[in-house]
Amino acid sequence: MARRASPDSRTGASVTAPISTPEVDVEDGLAIDKPWKVIVWDDPINLMSYVTFVFRKVFGYSEAKAQRLMMEVHVEGRSVVSSGAREKAELDVFRLHEHGLWATLEQDT
Amino acid sequence: MPAFFRRRFRWKNGEVIVDLPEDERDMLQHVLPQLRSLVIGETDPALRRLSPPARPDDDEAETFYRQMVTDELLRSRLDAIDVVEDGIGGTTLNDEGVTAWMHSLNALRLVLGERLDVDVIGHDALHDLDPSDERAPVMALYEWLGWLLEQLVDAAMNALPDGDD
Repeated sequence: MARRASPDSRTGASVTAPISTPEVDVEDGLAIDKPWKVIVWDDPINLMSYVTFVFRKVFGYSEAKAQRLMMEVHVEGRSVVSSGAREKAELDVFRLHEHGLWATLEQDT
Repeated sequence: MPAFFRRRFRWKNGEVIVDLPEDERDMLQHVLPQLRSLVIGETDPALRRLSPPARPDDDEAETFYRQMVTDELLRSRLDAIDVVEDGIGGTTLNDEGVTAWMHSLNALRLVLGERLDVDVIGHDALHDLDPSDERAPVMALYEWLGWLLEQLVDAAMNALPDGDD
């Protein structure tokens, strides 16, 4: 991630932060906060109408959005259906598993 | 209209109505205890469909996730089965009932689909089974459960808010 140039407090001039060790530390810190993606995978058993219903119910998506995600799962084999902090993603996966969907989570790379 | 031709679930006056003929209720009462034993047993291979891995890329994280959710997922499945069994003779479903019926009907389908190797054999081949094939009655049961679930989804959809794009 590129660091924004910040105004120097003493001179008012714009300076670019040095790309050195501190930059690496910042990158490491950011990696922890990268969002987690919840992925639903295609499977031959779950009904298409049921999968659409589950997306609407669990995530509060509109019928159009739920339908689009369901078709993406069906055609592409997988779809990212939500993302966010790790705890939220884990809860989403749990709820999808409760409904019998094949869901996994992974961190954004 | 004879019970046989009626929809098993429908939306009427803001409620999900259940209208199962007695022999279909009997069938559910026959298979739900089997689902319960299977879920409690924790060893049946079909369970991998009910509790798929959440972190297939990371064994340690997967073990941690399992420890965190296994009991709760088990509890949730058993509660759902109880709710369906207790209300099997009822005529309407509240939100809890809808969720319990959906979870249980779908769990049964997943287990039977796994038994039938749907992902390997495919639905088309299973539709063409010879009636003498030992999988034919299992396939009939699987299809019936799918037909019920489809109607329940259709009815329960009316209760969902419009939602966000």
